[in-house]
Amino acid sequence: MNRWQRRQLTDYMAKALGTAATLFGLFWLAWILWTTVSLGLPALKWTLFTQTTPPPGADGGLANAFAGSIFMCGLAVLIGTPIGIGAGTYLSEYARHTKFGKSIRFVNDILLSAPSIIIGLFVYELMVRPMGHFSAWAGSVALAFIVLPVVVRTTDEMLQLVPTTMRESALALGVPQWKVIRQVLYRAALSGIVTGILLALARISGETAPVLFTALNNQYWASSLNEPTANVPVVIFQYALSPYEFWHALAWAGAFVVTMLVLVLGVTSRWLISRGKEQS
Amino acid sequence: MTTPHVLQAGMAGLRSSRERRDFLYDRAFRFAVTACAVFVLVSLLAAALSMLWGGREALGTFGWRFLWSSSWDAVHKDFGALVPIYGTLVTALIAMLIAVPVSFGIALFLTEIAPIWLRTPVGAAVELLAGIPSIIYGMWGLFIFVPFMGEHIDPWLDEHLGPLPVIGSLFQGPPIGLGMLTAGIVLGIMVIPFVSSVMREVFKTVPPQLKESAYAVGNTTWEVVWDIVLPYTRSAVIGGVFLGLGRALGETMAVTFVLGNAHLLSPSLLQPGNSIAATIANEFTEADSSIYLSSLLALGFLLFIVTFVVLAIARIMLARLALRAGKTT
Amino acid sequence: MANFARQRTIMNDETLDPLSITARRAASGVLDAPAKITAQKLNFYYGESRALTDVNLVVKEKRVTALIGPSGCGKSTLLRVFNRMYAIYPKLRAEGEVLLDGENVLDARYPINRLRTKVGMVFQKPVPFPMSIYDNVAYALRHYERLTRGQLDERVEGALKSAALWAEVKDKLEHSALGLSGGQQQRLCVARAVALKPEVLLLDEPTSALDPISTARIEQLIDDLKVDYTVLIVTHNMQQAARVSEFTGFMFLGELIEFGVTSDLFTRPNNRKTEDYITGRFG
Repeated sequence: MNRWQRRQLTDYMAKALGTAATLFGLFWLAWILWTTVSLGLPALKWTLFTQTTPPPGADGGLANAFAGSIFMCGLAVLIGTPIGIGAGTYLSEYARHTKFGKSIRFVNDILLSAPSIIIGLFVYELMVRPMGHFSAWAGSVALAFIVLPVVVRTTDEMLQLVPTTMRESALALGVPQWKVIRQVLYRAALSGIVTGILLALARISGETAPVLFTALNNQYWASSLNEPTANVPVVIFQYALSPYEFWHALAWAGAFVVTMLVLVLGVTSRWLISRGKEQS
Repeated sequence: MTTPHVLQAGMAGLRSSRERRDFLYDRAFRFAVTACAVFVLVSLLAAALSMLWGGREALGTFGWRFLWSSSWDAVHKDFGALVPIYGTLVTALIAMLIAVPVSFGIALFLTEIAPIWLRTPVGAAVELLAGIPSIIYGMWGLFIFVPFMGEHIDPWLDEHLGPLPVIGSLFQGPPIGLGMLTAGIVLGIMVIPFVSSVMREVFKTVPPQLKESAYAVGNTTWEVVWDIVLPYTRSAVIGGVFLGLGRALGETMAVTFVLGNAHLLSPSLLQPGNSIAATIANEFTEADSSIYLSSLLALGFLLFIVTFVVLAIARIMLARLALRAGKTT
Repeated sequence: MANFARQRTIMNDETLDPLSITARRAASGVLDAPAKITAQKLNFYYGESRALTDVNLVVKEKRVTALIGPSGCGKSTLLRVFNRMYAIYPKLRAEGEVLLDGENVLDARYPINRLRTKVGMVFQKPVPFPMSIYDNVAYALRHYERLTRGQLDERVEGALKSAALWAEVKDKLEHSALGLSGGQQQRLCVARAVALKPEVLLLDEPTSALDPISTARIEQLIDDLKVDYTVLIVTHNMQQAARVSEFTGFMFLGELIEFGVTSDLFTRPNNRKTEDYITGRFG
């Protein structure tokens, strides 16, 4: 084989391996999704949303878990989004190239990729220990700390994408800076910022570790937010590791719902991003 | 962009009430957003400090011995981090051994090999892997993959590679499916989308003229990638790998389900073990003494330090490429 | 040289020659007017390097003044000093004075926003805000004036009429401004800038991103605007300066080389560099 042929062969093999790697990755995706659908869909019943988590052997659903998760995720977004938008605004509009801005971005990136169990431990020390008990508040705060860096980063990046001329045109009218940011820049970056929130929401919907030691779990409806509160990921965790078949089925049903939710949120974000790109 | 009022001498010179109000609102807004940014900074610090604080009892009692003691005795209240640390490192290593070449292959496929119309859907599908909650990975791992490993792969490995000298000890063990190899594989699959998306983004930043001139002198696709793209993006690729590593080190749910949660220190990959995150997740609610709890928190602090260093390296590596590409962060 | 002075415009009447008209008006003294903006010993720095050197310039009230020069000569930089647009960038700073009706507006005590309500700007690339046409024009009005809906409607209509855009958009004021064509968007930006009735209008290469027909409309607009506003326009197109302005300043490497009545500058430049630029020896 001459040199040219050898090079062609290497090229061909590299391409084949690359394709194989992609198929390898997609294979796992297919397997996992298939499992989730095939085990979760049959377990999907009306009662899933109307009955509460049962003791072993009894019939039941995940109603209280869904409610708990919806509440905590909602509150987490409510807490984390304003702070995240604020920090992102600071980074883009007041500290774009400063040293302080760079360090905030650095810290934010660490927070973004940090193991979520650490957030759980942090909020445990911050809230659960002083309060003396687990609570939905603590769970929400833990999830809020996961929402925060996502929103900071997307807001920062989306605001930076707004063309400088728009900023200048608005400021040239004599309108004060805070109004320019609020009325013009936020509006221009809106779809991007919303996408960030959706992505954060998708992420926290499935997070177990932060909730594990903050909201813990509850077999029944929590009578107040100051109690341990049922939520889907922890219920799945508990049920899956148990020896009971019925609990396994419920766990798969819950897993199915969560996965579908995450997929829908992901697709919606993607659609928003492509729509935003079309407009600009 | 800094506030224009840097060049404005405070409220001197402001005449109308509207001007005063505008100035104050601007100040207030700036203060509010700055506070939010500082909050981010404080959060990370607080997280680190809180775990250090919670772990002080354990660290104080055991001292440096904590790092290399393999005992984990709740009754005698003797705890050591060696087993979890070992498990964390081994599973992460296996995960990276799988994820890095596969991610590279995927990035190669999506940037150079695949036809244009295929790139977005396949890319989206790979991203989907990242979106699946880790507890789903855990469940799939436990109910589907573990039996598979236990019935088909583990026995094969035990039989064929077990007897070999030296490396044989890696593959000896009961075919229960749970174990470090299984956990490493599941982790590897989880980490693939993270590393591959960074690589993909980074490959795209190579200036097309660079690649085109290489093609123009007759280089094959592979040669362009190996000789032009990789060297250009080298630090960022390393950054992406470290990002994936950070993820693998800290992953909780997927590992908890398939690692076996045994405080066992064994060279064999087929044996169950423990990781830092899995230990914390499993035993936190059972910790019945304050030293037990403190040990778990100390483990958390260790994990924090390790992932912080890894993620910091990743960030620095990625920033180097961004600098080259002309972006400023 | 003589050929250039006679060069025809692309506007309607071919016998109209803007330079001759300007020359006649200058001769008759019509062009005399009080100074609206005076720049004195103006120096501008980007970090350590100096972008403007000792610029002294007088912009007369309700006249159109043009700044021309090759790329990088500092004409845009100079323009943007007049509304302190550089203030948002940390590395830029100005030294010297700029007097608006006698008050030094570069003084730290002079509120920037007040300056910007008196000195409006239209940028090279039209960037409408992501809102309706009506909201775009009303934007600054809503902040600065307490108007009833009816009064606001009137002001918006007036501004759009000043920008020669009213007829085209009066039935779709609630539509997004992003749906307008490039030329229309630029006229919208003009309407936006004049809504607050500033005293001075700074135009930074307002037609360089537009097609010839839109360019002609904007130039016509400038002619109408000068009745109410002092106009300072930066253009890299010499013919445009000849067409629209009464006074022209030629800049080169951060200095104001020559300044005078447009017809004088183009037909009888005093400075060698000005002559070289105008005759196209460099550009």
